[in-house]
Amino acid sequence: MPRWLKRYGDILLVFGAVGLLRLALPVPFVIHAVIFAIYTMAFSFLIGRLGLVSFGQPVYLSIGAYGTGIYLARFGTNPYAGLFVGVVVGILFSLLIGSLLLRLTGDYFALANLALCAVGFFFFQKALVSVTNGDTGLWYLARMSSTPILNLRQPNNVFVLALILAVLVWLLMKYIDSSVYGAACLAVKGNETKLQLLGYDTFGVKWLAFVLANATAALAGALYAIYFGFVSPASMELVRAPEVIVAALLGGAGTLYGPLLGAFLYIAMQDLVSTHVLYWELFVGIMVVLIMMGDEKGITTWLKPIFRSGWQLVSRRPKITRTP
Amino acid sequence: MSSEEALLGVENLTKRFGAVCPANGVNYKLRENQVAGIIGPNGAGKTTFFNLVTGLCIPDSGNVFFQGGDITRLSPQKRVQLGIRRTFQLASVFDNLCVVDNIRVAYYQKQRAGRPSLGGMFLTELVGVHSETIDELTEGMGFANVAHTEAGGLSLGNKRKLELAMAIIAEPKVLLLDEPFAGLSEMEISQIVEMLKNRCAGKMSILIIEHKITWLKDLVDRLSVLVNGELVADGTYQEALESPQARKSYWKLIEE
Repeated sequence: MPRWLKRYGDILLVFGAVGLLRLALPVPFVIHAVIFAIYTMAFSFLIGRLGLVSFGQPVYLSIGAYGTGIYLARFGTNPYAGLFVGVVVGILFSLLIGSLLLRLTGDYFALANLALCAVGFFFFQKALVSVTNGDTGLWYLARMSSTPILNLRQPNNVFVLALILAVLVWLLMKYIDSSVYGAACLAVKGNETKLQLLGYDTFGVKWLAFVLANATAALAGALYAIYFGFVSPASMELVRAPEVIVAALLGGAGTLYGPLLGAFLYIAMQDLVSTHVLYWELFVGIMVVLIMMGDEKGITTWLKPIFRSGWQLVSRRPKITRTP
Repeated sequence: MSSEEALLGVENLTKRFGAVCPANGVNYKLRENQVAGIIGPNGAGKTTFFNLVTGLCIPDSGNVFFQGGDITRLSPQKRVQLGIRRTFQLASVFDNLCVVDNIRVAYYQKQRAGRPSLGGMFLTELVGVHSETIDELTEGMGFANVAHTEAGGLSLGNKRKLELAMAIIAEPKVLLLDEPFAGLSEMEISQIVEMLKNRCAGKMSILIIEHKITWLKDLVDRLSVLVNGELVADGTYQEALESPQARKSYWKLIEE
Protein backbone atom coordinates (compact mmCIF):
# COMPACT_ATOMS: atom_id res chain seq x y z
CA MET A 1 0.00 0.00 0.00
CA PRO A 2 1.46 3.41 -0.95
CA ARG A 3 2.85 5.59 1.82
CA TRP A 4 0.42 8.46 1.43
CA LEU A 5 -2.51 6.10 1.74
CA LYS A 6 -1.04 4.62 4.88
CA ARG A 7 -0.55 8.03 6.38
CA TYR A 8 -3.75 9.70 5.28
CA GLY A 9 -5.93 6.64 4.70
CA ASP A 10 -7.80 7.22 7.93
CA ILE A 11 -8.83 10.71 6.90
CA LEU A 12 -10.30 9.42 3.64
CA LEU A 13 -12.19 6.85 5.63
CA VAL A 14 -13.53 9.27 8.24
CA PHE A 15 -14.52 12.09 5.94
CA GLY A 16 -15.75 9.67 3.32
CA ALA A 17 -18.09 8.36 5.99
CA VAL A 18 -19.24 11.92 6.69
CA GLY A 19 -19.88 12.39 3.01
CA LEU A 20 -22.00 9.25 2.95
CA LEU A 21 -23.91 10.39 6.02
CA ARG A 22 -24.85 13.43 4.01
CA LEU A 23 -26.77 11.21 1.61
CA ALA A 24 -28.55 9.36 4.37
CA LEU A 25 -29.39 12.14 6.79
CA PRO A 26 -31.17 15.50 6.55
CA VAL A 27 -28.94 18.26 5.14
CA PRO A 28 -29.45 20.75 8.00
CA PHE A 29 -28.29 18.09 10.43
CA VAL A 30 -25.05 17.22 8.63
CA ILE A 31 -24.17 20.87 8.02
CA HIS A 32 -24.77 21.72 11.64
CA ALA A 33 -22.77 18.69 12.75
CA VAL A 34 -19.79 19.36 10.48
CA ILE A 35 -19.54 23.00 11.54
CA PHE A 36 -19.96 22.01 15.16
CA ALA A 37 -17.18 19.43 14.63
CA ILE A 38 -14.80 22.22 13.58
CA TYR A 39 -15.74 24.11 16.74
CA THR A 40 -15.24 20.97 18.84
CA MET A 41 -11.88 20.12 17.26
CA ALA A 42 -10.62 23.57 18.20
CA PHE A 43 -11.74 23.20 21.79
CA SER A 44 -10.49 19.64 22.04
CA PHE A 45 -7.06 20.90 21.06
CA LEU A 46 -7.09 23.40 23.92
CA ILE A 47 -8.35 21.02 26.57
CA GLY A 48 -6.63 17.85 25.41
CA ARG A 49 -3.24 19.09 24.23
CA LEU A 50 -2.71 22.11 26.45
CA GLY A 51 -4.88 21.28 29.42
CA LEU A 52 -6.64 24.66 29.17
CA VAL A 53 -10.31 24.38 30.12
CA SER A 54 -12.41 27.32 29.03
CA PHE A 55 -16.07 27.91 29.91
CA GLY A 56 -16.29 30.77 27.46
CA GLN A 57 -15.89 29.19 24.05
CA PRO A 58 -19.15 30.68 22.68
CA VAL A 59 -17.56 34.10 22.76
CA TYR A 60 -14.86 33.04 20.28
CA LEU A 61 -17.44 31.33 18.09
CA SER A 62 -19.65 34.42 18.14
CA ILE A 63 -16.81 36.84 17.44
CA GLY A 64 -16.27 34.99 14.18
CA ALA A 65 -19.99 34.92 13.48
CA TYR A 66 -20.38 38.64 14.18
CA GLY A 67 -17.29 39.49 12.16
CA THR A 68 -18.87 37.80 9.19
CA GLY A 69 -22.37 39.02 10.01
CA ILE A 70 -21.51 42.68 10.42
CA TYR A 71 -19.43 42.61 7.25
CA LEU A 72 -22.22 41.03 5.23
CA ALA A 73 -24.97 43.16 6.72
CA ARG A 74 -23.23 46.52 6.51
CA PHE A 75 -20.26 46.42 4.14
CA GLY A 76 -19.85 43.74 1.52
CA THR A 77 -21.92 41.03 -0.08
CA ASN A 78 -19.39 38.32 -0.92
CA PRO A 79 -19.75 35.44 1.58
CA TYR A 80 -16.13 34.35 1.09
CA ALA A 81 -14.92 37.81 2.01
CA GLY A 82 -17.25 37.58 5.00
CA LEU A 83 -15.69 34.28 6.03
CA PHE A 84 -12.25 35.83 5.73
CA VAL A 85 -13.26 38.86 7.80
CA GLY A 86 -14.73 36.59 10.47
CA VAL A 87 -11.52 34.58 10.80
CA VAL A 88 -9.30 37.67 10.83
CA VAL A 89 -11.44 39.25 13.55
CA GLY A 90 -11.20 35.96 15.46
CA ILE A 91 -7.40 35.96 15.17
CA LEU A 92 -7.07 39.58 16.33
CA PHE A 93 -9.50 39.05 19.20
CA SER A 94 -7.76 35.92 20.47
CA LEU A 95 -4.32 37.52 20.11
CA LEU A 96 -5.49 40.33 22.38
CA ILE A 97 -7.50 38.22 24.83
CA GLY A 98 -4.86 35.49 24.91
CA SER A 99 -2.16 37.91 25.96
CA LEU A 100 -4.29 38.76 29.00
CA LEU A 101 -6.09 35.56 29.97
CA LEU A 102 -3.17 33.18 29.46
CA ARG A 103 -1.50 34.68 32.50
CA LEU A 104 -4.13 32.77 34.47
CA THR A 105 -4.07 29.04 34.95
CA GLY A 106 -6.45 26.25 35.84
CA ASP A 107 -9.80 27.22 37.30
CA TYR A 108 -9.06 30.93 37.00
CA PHE A 109 -8.56 30.63 33.28
CA ALA A 110 -11.80 28.69 32.92
CA LEU A 111 -13.81 31.22 34.94
CA ALA A 112 -12.24 34.30 33.37
CA ASN A 113 -13.40 32.93 30.03
CA LEU A 114 -16.88 32.45 31.45
CA ALA A 115 -16.86 36.07 32.54
CA LEU A 116 -15.59 37.14 29.13
CA CYS A 117 -18.52 35.32 27.57
CA ALA A 118 -20.95 37.21 29.80
CA VAL A 119 -19.29 40.52 28.94
CA GLY A 120 -19.40 39.66 25.25
CA PHE A 121 -23.11 38.85 25.47
CA PHE A 122 -23.79 42.20 27.09
CA PHE A 123 -21.81 44.04 24.42
CA PHE A 124 -23.52 42.41 21.47
CA GLN A 125 -26.99 42.48 22.99
CA LYS A 126 -27.02 45.92 24.64
CA ALA A 127 -23.93 48.09 24.35
CA LEU A 128 -23.41 47.82 20.60
CA VAL A 129 -27.09 47.72 19.74
CA SER A 130 -26.69 50.32 16.97
CA VAL A 131 -24.36 47.96 15.12
CA THR A 132 -25.79 44.57 16.09
CA ASN A 133 -29.54 45.30 16.39
CA GLY A 134 -29.50 43.66 19.81
CA ASP A 135 -31.73 40.63 20.25
CA THR A 136 -33.22 41.01 16.79
CA GLY A 137 -29.87 40.18 15.29
CA LEU A 138 -28.55 40.94 11.85
CA TRP A 139 -30.30 39.47 8.80
CA TYR A 140 -28.45 39.42 5.51
CA LEU A 141 -29.32 36.17 3.75
CA ALA A 142 -30.84 38.10 0.85
CA ARG A 143 -27.86 40.43 0.62
CA MET A 144 -25.30 37.67 0.08
CA SER A 145 -24.16 37.59 -3.54
CA SER A 146 -23.82 34.45 -5.60
CA THR A 147 -20.28 33.24 -6.10
CA PRO A 148 -19.01 31.40 -9.16
CA ILE A 149 -17.56 28.09 -7.92
CA LEU A 150 -19.23 27.07 -4.68
CA ASN A 151 -22.31 29.22 -4.44
CA LEU A 152 -22.79 29.58 -0.71
CA ARG A 153 -26.40 30.65 -1.10
CA GLN A 154 -27.17 26.95 -1.42
CA PRO A 155 -26.95 24.83 1.74
CA ASN A 156 -25.45 21.93 -0.23
CA ASN A 157 -22.44 24.04 -1.10
CA VAL A 158 -22.12 25.27 2.47
CA PHE A 159 -21.87 21.63 3.43
CA VAL A 160 -19.12 20.99 0.88
CA LEU A 161 -17.15 24.05 2.05
CA ALA A 162 -17.61 23.13 5.70
CA LEU A 163 -16.44 19.60 5.00
CA ILE A 164 -13.34 20.83 3.13
CA LEU A 165 -12.52 23.22 5.97
CA ALA A 166 -13.10 20.47 8.54
CA VAL A 167 -10.63 18.26 6.67
CA LEU A 168 -8.10 21.10 6.64
CA VAL A 169 -8.54 21.73 10.36
CA TRP A 170 -8.20 18.01 11.01
CA LEU A 171 -5.01 17.88 8.92
CA LEU A 172 -3.65 20.86 10.85
CA MET A 173 -4.29 19.03 14.13
CA LYS A 174 -2.65 15.90 12.77
CA TYR A 175 0.33 17.91 11.60
CA ILE A 176 0.67 19.65 14.96
CA ASP A 177 0.69 16.24 16.61
CA SER A 178 3.73 15.31 14.59
CA SER A 179 5.65 18.56 15.10
CA VAL A 180 8.00 19.59 17.87
CA TYR A 181 5.40 22.24 18.63
CA GLY A 182 2.84 19.51 19.35
CA ALA A 183 5.25 17.85 21.76
CA ALA A 184 5.84 21.23 23.40
CA CYS A 185 2.06 21.69 23.82
CA LEU A 186 1.75 18.33 25.56
CA ALA A 187 4.78 19.24 27.63
CA VAL A 188 3.04 22.43 28.77
CA LYS A 189 0.09 20.32 29.87
CA GLY A 190 2.32 17.83 31.64
CA ASN A 191 4.87 20.06 33.33
CA GLU A 192 5.07 23.71 32.35
CA THR A 193 7.87 24.65 34.76
CA LYS A 194 10.02 21.88 33.40
CA LEU A 195 9.56 23.13 29.86
CA GLN A 196 10.56 26.63 30.95
CA LEU A 197 13.64 25.16 32.56
CA LEU A 198 14.51 23.57 29.25
CA GLY A 199 14.67 27.08 27.82
CA TYR A 200 11.31 27.14 26.05
CA ASP A 201 9.05 30.17 25.98
CA THR A 202 5.93 28.48 27.34
CA PHE A 203 3.84 31.61 27.12
CA GLY A 204 4.47 31.73 23.39
CA VAL A 205 3.55 28.07 23.04
CA LYS A 206 0.25 28.67 24.83
CA TRP A 207 -0.48 31.89 23.01
CA LEU A 208 -0.05 30.33 19.58
CA ALA A 209 -2.23 27.38 20.60
CA PHE A 210 -4.87 29.72 21.99
CA VAL A 211 -4.92 31.77 18.80
CA LEU A 212 -4.99 28.68 16.55
CA ALA A 213 -7.81 27.10 18.53
CA ASN A 214 -9.93 30.22 18.86
CA ALA A 215 -9.39 31.36 15.30
CA THR A 216 -10.69 27.93 14.33
CA ALA A 217 -13.68 28.48 16.62
CA ALA A 218 -14.21 31.81 14.86
CA LEU A 219 -14.08 29.99 11.53
CA ALA A 220 -16.87 27.72 12.75
CA GLY A 221 -18.82 30.80 13.83
CA ALA A 222 -18.30 32.43 10.43
CA LEU A 223 -19.58 29.28 8.71
CA TYR A 224 -22.69 29.30 10.91
CA ALA A 225 -23.22 32.95 10.05
CA ILE A 226 -23.11 32.20 6.34
CA TYR A 227 -25.27 29.11 6.61
CA PHE A 228 -28.03 30.70 8.69
CA GLY A 229 -27.80 34.12 7.06
CA PHE A 230 -28.23 35.87 10.36
CA VAL A 231 -26.46 36.34 13.69
CA SER A 232 -27.90 37.09 17.10
CA PRO A 233 -26.52 37.24 20.64
CA ALA A 234 -28.26 33.92 21.37
CA SER A 235 -25.13 32.14 20.13
CA MET A 236 -23.23 33.73 22.99
CA GLU A 237 -25.54 32.86 25.86
CA LEU A 238 -23.76 31.41 28.85
CA VAL A 239 -25.95 28.30 28.86
CA ARG A 240 -24.39 27.37 25.54
CA ALA A 241 -20.88 27.25 26.99
CA PRO A 242 -21.01 23.63 28.13
CA GLU A 243 -22.16 22.18 24.81
CA VAL A 244 -18.73 22.20 23.19
CA ILE A 245 -17.14 20.89 26.39
CA VAL A 246 -19.63 18.05 26.52
CA ALA A 247 -19.09 17.23 22.86
CA ALA A 248 -15.30 17.23 23.24
CA LEU A 249 -15.40 15.06 26.35
CA LEU A 250 -17.96 12.69 24.83
CA GLY A 251 -15.66 11.99 21.93
CA GLY A 252 -12.45 12.16 23.92
CA ALA A 253 -10.50 15.38 24.32
CA GLY A 254 -7.10 15.53 22.68
CA THR A 255 -7.74 12.66 20.30
CA LEU A 256 -7.93 13.12 16.56
CA TYR A 257 -11.28 11.46 15.87
CA GLY A 258 -12.89 12.14 19.23
CA PRO A 259 -14.13 15.65 18.47
CA LEU A 260 -15.74 14.49 15.22
CA LEU A 261 -17.53 11.66 16.94
CA GLY A 262 -18.51 13.78 19.90
CA ALA A 263 -19.82 16.58 17.70
CA PHE A 264 -21.95 14.23 15.60
CA LEU A 265 -23.26 12.47 18.66
CA TYR A 266 -24.14 15.70 20.41
CA ILE A 267 -25.86 17.28 17.43
CA ALA A 268 -27.68 14.02 16.81
CA MET A 269 -29.03 14.18 20.34
CA GLN A 270 -29.93 17.82 19.97
CA ASP A 271 -31.56 17.58 16.54
CA LEU A 272 -32.98 14.10 16.37
CA VAL A 273 -33.73 13.03 19.94
CA SER A 274 -35.19 16.37 20.90
CA THR A 275 -37.97 15.93 18.33
CA HIS A 276 -39.23 12.99 20.38
CA VAL A 277 -38.17 13.78 23.91
CA LEU A 278 -38.56 17.21 25.46
CA TYR A 279 -35.74 16.88 27.99
CA TRP A 280 -33.13 15.55 25.61
CA GLU A 281 -30.32 16.98 27.74
CA LEU A 282 -31.14 14.26 30.24
CA PHE A 283 -29.82 11.67 27.80
CA VAL A 284 -26.69 13.69 27.13
CA GLY A 285 -26.10 13.97 30.87
CA ILE A 286 -26.48 10.26 31.48
CA MET A 287 -24.21 9.49 28.55
CA VAL A 288 -21.52 11.86 29.77
CA VAL A 289 -21.57 10.30 33.22
CA LEU A 290 -21.30 6.79 31.79
CA ILE A 291 -18.49 7.69 29.41
CA MET A 292 -16.54 9.68 31.98
CA MET A 293 -16.63 6.68 34.29
CA GLY A 294 -14.71 4.83 31.62
CA ASP A 295 -11.81 7.09 30.81
CA GLU A 296 -10.90 10.71 30.15
CA LYS A 297 -10.48 9.89 26.48
CA GLY A 298 -14.23 9.39 26.23
CA ILE A 299 -15.89 7.17 23.74
CA THR A 300 -12.71 6.72 21.66
CA THR A 301 -11.28 4.55 24.45
CA TRP A 302 -13.96 2.03 23.64
CA LEU A 303 -13.95 2.41 19.90
CA LYS A 304 -10.23 2.57 19.23
CA PRO A 305 -9.45 -1.15 19.70
CA ILE A 306 -12.38 -2.04 17.46
CA PHE A 307 -11.33 0.41 14.74
CA ARG A 308 -7.69 -0.56 15.04
CA SER A 309 -8.30 -4.26 14.52
CA GLY A 310 -10.67 -3.42 11.68
CA TRP A 311 -8.07 -1.16 10.07
CA GLN A 312 -5.39 -3.79 10.44
CA LEU A 313 -7.60 -6.25 8.64
CA VAL A 314 -7.82 -3.92 5.66
CA SER A 315 -4.32 -2.52 5.65
CA ARG A 316 -2.17 -5.55 6.37
CA ARG A 317 -1.97 -9.04 5.15
CA PRO A 318 -3.08 -11.46 7.80
CA LYS A 319 -0.21 -12.96 9.73
CA ILE A 320 0.21 -16.66 9.22
CA THR A 321 1.32 -18.32 12.37
CA ARG A 322 2.55 -21.83 12.28
CA THR A 323 2.68 -24.06 15.25
CA PRO A 324 5.97 -25.92 15.36
CA MET B 1 40.02 33.00 43.83
CA SER B 2 38.57 36.16 42.29
CA SER B 3 35.11 36.29 40.80
CA GLU B 4 36.58 36.55 37.27
CA GLU B 5 37.97 33.03 37.53
CA ALA B 6 34.77 31.52 38.81
CA LEU B 7 32.20 30.25 36.32
CA LEU B 8 29.33 30.60 38.76
CA GLY B 9 29.44 32.64 41.91
CA VAL B 10 27.10 33.96 44.57
CA GLU B 11 27.85 36.82 46.94
CA ASN B 12 26.11 37.46 50.25
CA LEU B 13 23.06 35.62 49.05
CA THR B 14 20.20 35.98 51.54
CA LYS B 15 16.64 34.72 51.39
CA ARG B 16 14.08 34.63 54.15
CA PHE B 17 10.71 32.85 54.37
CA GLY B 18 9.21 34.35 57.53
CA ALA B 19 11.22 33.09 60.47
CA VAL B 20 13.14 30.58 58.36
CA CYS B 21 16.32 31.72 56.71
CA PRO B 22 17.44 29.13 54.17
CA ALA B 23 20.20 31.38 52.79
CA ASN B 24 22.01 33.67 55.17
CA GLY B 25 24.79 35.53 53.41
CA VAL B 26 26.05 32.61 51.35
CA ASN B 27 29.29 33.12 49.40
CA TYR B 28 30.17 30.39 46.95
CA LYS B 29 32.25 30.11 43.80
CA LEU B 30 32.29 27.26 41.33
CA ARG B 31 35.20 26.88 38.92
CA GLU B 32 34.98 25.55 35.41
CA ASN B 33 34.76 21.75 35.19
CA GLN B 34 34.72 21.47 38.96
CA VAL B 35 32.57 18.74 40.49
CA ALA B 36 31.33 19.93 43.85
CA GLY B 37 29.00 18.47 46.44
CA ILE B 38 26.79 20.19 48.97
CA ILE B 39 25.58 18.33 52.04
CA GLY B 40 23.58 19.46 54.98
CA PRO B 41 20.61 18.48 57.16
CA ASN B 42 17.04 18.72 55.85
CA GLY B 43 15.90 22.31 55.78
CA ALA B 44 19.43 23.66 55.63
CA GLY B 45 18.65 25.59 52.46
CA LYS B 46 20.28 23.38 49.84
CA THR B 47 17.36 23.35 47.45
CA THR B 48 16.71 27.04 48.08
CA PHE B 49 20.31 27.65 47.07
CA PHE B 50 19.58 25.90 43.76
CA ASN B 51 16.35 27.83 43.36
CA LEU B 52 18.20 31.09 43.85
CA VAL B 53 20.87 30.14 41.34
CA THR B 54 18.37 28.96 38.72
CA GLY B 55 16.02 31.88 39.22
CA LEU B 56 12.99 30.08 40.64
CA CYS B 57 13.48 32.29 43.70
CA ILE B 58 14.65 35.90 43.81
CA PRO B 59 17.03 36.65 46.70
CA ASP B 60 16.23 39.31 49.31
CA SER B 61 19.78 40.55 48.94
CA GLY B 62 23.04 39.44 47.37
CA ASN B 63 23.98 38.63 43.80
CA VAL B 64 24.41 35.69 41.48
CA PHE B 65 27.18 35.84 38.87
CA PHE B 66 27.65 33.65 35.84
CA GLN B 67 30.64 33.94 33.53
CA GLY B 68 31.43 37.32 35.02
CA GLY B 69 27.95 38.78 34.45
CA ASP B 70 25.29 39.52 37.06
CA ILE B 71 22.30 37.24 36.51
CA THR B 72 20.44 37.93 39.76
CA ARG B 73 17.45 39.43 37.95
CA LEU B 74 17.32 37.14 34.92
CA SER B 75 14.32 34.83 34.38
CA PRO B 76 14.84 31.08 34.89
CA GLN B 77 14.43 30.60 31.16
CA LYS B 78 17.19 33.10 30.31
CA ARG B 79 19.55 31.39 32.75
CA VAL B 80 18.87 28.05 31.12
CA GLN B 81 19.70 29.59 27.78
CA LEU B 82 23.02 30.76 29.23
CA GLY B 83 23.82 27.17 30.15
CA ILE B 84 22.63 26.51 33.69
CA ARG B 85 20.63 23.29 33.98
CA ARG B 86 19.18 21.57 36.99
CA THR B 87 17.36 18.43 38.00
CA PHE B 88 14.80 18.23 40.77
CA GLN B 89 14.49 16.39 44.03
CA LEU B 90 11.27 14.85 42.73
CA ALA B 91 12.26 13.53 39.32
CA SER B 92 10.69 15.92 36.86
CA VAL B 93 10.08 14.71 33.31
CA PHE B 94 7.14 15.04 30.93
CA ASP B 95 4.98 12.19 32.21
CA ASN B 96 2.59 12.44 29.25
CA LEU B 97 5.29 12.18 26.58
CA CYS B 98 7.13 9.00 25.67
CA VAL B 99 10.82 8.71 26.49
CA VAL B 100 11.99 9.49 22.95
CA ASP B 101 9.84 12.62 22.79
CA ASN B 102 11.18 13.76 26.15
CA ILE B 103 14.69 13.46 24.77
CA ARG B 104 13.63 15.08 21.53
CA VAL B 105 12.20 18.14 23.25
CA ALA B 106 15.45 18.51 25.19
CA TYR B 107 17.60 17.94 22.12
CA TYR B 108 15.61 20.33 19.95
CA GLN B 109 16.30 23.15 22.37
CA LYS B 110 20.03 22.49 22.07
CA GLN B 111 19.78 22.38 18.28
CA ARG B 112 18.30 25.85 18.31
CA ALA B 113 21.27 27.16 20.28
CA GLY B 114 19.19 27.31 23.43
CA ARG B 115 16.42 29.45 21.95
CA PRO B 116 13.64 27.38 20.38
CA SER B 117 11.55 29.72 18.25
CA LEU B 118 7.82 29.18 17.89
CA GLY B 119 8.01 29.17 14.11
CA GLY B 120 10.84 26.68 14.14
CA MET B 121 8.97 24.38 16.49
CA PHE B 122 5.85 24.62 14.40
CA LEU B 123 7.57 23.88 11.13
CA THR B 124 9.74 21.05 12.40
CA GLU B 125 8.14 17.68 12.11
CA LEU B 126 8.79 15.53 15.11
CA VAL B 127 9.06 12.28 13.22
CA GLY B 128 11.91 13.26 10.99
CA VAL B 129 14.01 15.54 13.19
CA HIS B 130 17.47 14.15 13.62
CA SER B 131 15.99 10.71 14.27
CA GLU B 132 19.40 9.07 14.13
CA THR B 133 20.94 11.32 16.73
CA ILE B 134 17.90 10.90 18.91
CA ASP B 135 17.97 7.12 18.56
CA GLU B 136 21.66 7.11 19.34
CA LEU B 137 21.13 9.20 22.45
CA THR B 138 18.21 7.07 23.54
CA GLU B 139 20.22 3.89 23.22
CA GLY B 140 23.42 5.38 24.57
CA MET B 141 21.68 6.53 27.72
CA GLY B 142 20.21 3.07 28.18
CA PHE B 143 16.57 3.66 27.25
CA ALA B 144 16.44 1.35 24.25
CA ASN B 145 13.76 -0.94 25.67
CA VAL B 146 11.57 1.78 27.15
CA ALA B 147 11.93 4.27 24.28
CA HIS B 148 8.22 4.36 23.48
CA THR B 149 6.87 4.08 27.00
CA GLU B 150 5.17 7.14 28.46
CA ALA B 151 7.64 8.63 30.91
CA GLY B 152 4.95 8.61 33.62
CA GLY B 153 5.12 4.83 33.63
CA LEU B 154 8.87 4.61 34.23
CA SER B 155 10.45 3.45 37.45
CA LEU B 156 11.90 6.16 39.68
CA GLY B 157 15.41 5.11 38.69
CA ASN B 158 14.65 5.43 35.00
CA LYS B 159 12.88 8.74 35.54
CA ARG B 160 15.95 10.13 37.28
CA LYS B 161 18.15 8.82 34.51
CA LEU B 162 15.87 10.38 31.91
CA GLU B 163 15.85 13.70 33.70
CA LEU B 164 19.62 13.64 33.90
CA ALA B 165 19.88 12.61 30.27
CA MET B 166 17.67 15.54 29.24
CA ALA B 167 19.93 17.90 31.17
CA ILE B 168 23.15 16.42 29.79
CA ILE B 169 21.98 16.47 26.17
CA ALA B 170 21.88 20.25 26.24
CA GLU B 171 25.59 20.29 27.17
CA PRO B 172 25.16 22.92 29.85
CA LYS B 173 28.08 24.77 31.42
CA VAL B 174 26.78 24.17 34.91
CA LEU B 175 24.71 21.17 35.94
CA LEU B 176 22.89 21.34 39.27
CA LEU B 177 21.71 17.98 40.62
CA ASP B 178 19.24 17.99 43.49
CA GLU B 179 19.49 14.67 45.33
CA PRO B 180 20.02 12.54 42.23
CA PHE B 181 20.38 9.36 44.30
CA ALA B 182 17.34 9.69 46.59
CA GLY B 183 15.16 6.61 46.63
CA LEU B 184 17.33 4.62 44.23
CA SER B 185 18.89 1.20 44.64
CA GLU B 186 22.67 0.81 44.80
CA MET B 187 22.71 -0.46 41.23
CA GLU B 188 20.67 2.44 39.91
CA ILE B 189 22.93 4.87 41.76
CA SER B 190 26.02 3.35 40.23
CA GLN B 191 24.43 3.71 36.79
CA ILE B 192 23.87 7.41 37.43
CA VAL B 193 27.41 7.81 38.73
CA GLU B 194 28.67 6.11 35.55
CA MET B 195 26.60 8.50 33.45
CA LEU B 196 28.05 11.48 35.29
CA LYS B 197 31.61 10.22 35.01
CA ASN B 198 31.43 9.23 31.35
CA ARG B 199 29.35 12.00 29.92
CA CYS B 200 29.88 15.04 32.11
CA ALA B 201 33.19 14.96 33.92
CA GLY B 202 35.61 17.41 32.33
CA LYS B 203 32.92 18.91 30.11
CA MET B 204 30.87 20.90 32.60
CA SER B 205 30.81 22.04 36.18
CA ILE B 206 28.59 19.94 38.40
CA LEU B 207 27.06 20.82 41.73
CA ILE B 208 25.42 17.94 43.60
CA ILE B 209 23.14 18.07 46.62
CA GLU B 210 23.08 14.68 48.26
CA HIS B 211 22.45 12.87 51.50
CA LYS B 212 24.17 9.65 50.50
CA ILE B 213 27.56 11.09 51.27
CA THR B 214 29.71 8.02 50.63
CA TRP B 215 28.66 7.98 46.99
CA LEU B 216 30.15 11.44 46.60
CA LYS B 217 33.60 10.33 47.70
CA ASP B 218 34.86 9.29 44.26
CA LEU B 219 32.75 11.81 42.42
CA VAL B 220 33.47 15.23 43.84
CA ASP B 221 36.66 17.22 44.14
CA ARG B 222 35.11 19.62 46.58
CA LEU B 223 32.52 19.32 49.33
CA SER B 224 30.66 21.99 51.26
CA VAL B 225 28.46 21.71 54.30
CA LEU B 226 25.41 23.96 54.53
CA VAL B 227 23.61 24.37 57.84
CA ASN B 228 20.81 26.85 58.53
CA GLY B 229 21.57 28.82 55.41
CA GLU B 230 25.25 29.18 56.18
CA LEU B 231 28.25 27.43 54.70
CA VAL B 232 30.01 25.96 57.69
CA ALA B 233 32.69 24.00 55.88
CA ASP B 234 34.22 23.98 52.42
CA GLY B 235 37.14 21.98 51.10
CA THR B 236 38.03 18.52 49.86
CA TYR B 237 35.84 15.58 50.79
CA GLN B 238 38.04 14.73 53.78
CA GLU B 239 38.51 18.32 54.91
CA ALA B 240 34.80 19.05 54.87
CA LEU B 241 33.85 15.93 56.80
CA GLU B 242 36.56 16.44 59.36
CA SER B 243 36.09 20.14 59.90
CA PRO B 244 35.10 20.84 63.50
CA GLN B 245 32.31 23.17 62.40
CA ALA B 246 30.66 20.49 60.29
CA ARG B 247 31.08 17.85 62.96
CA LYS B 248 29.44 20.13 65.46
CA SER B 249 26.48 21.44 63.51
CA TYR B 250 25.82 18.68 61.00
CA TRP B 251 26.83 15.47 62.73
CA LYS B 252 26.03 16.88 66.18
CA LEU B 253 29.28 15.41 67.43
CA ILE B 254 30.30 17.73 70.17
CA GLU B 255 33.97 17.49 70.90
CA GLU B 256 35.28 19.05 74.00
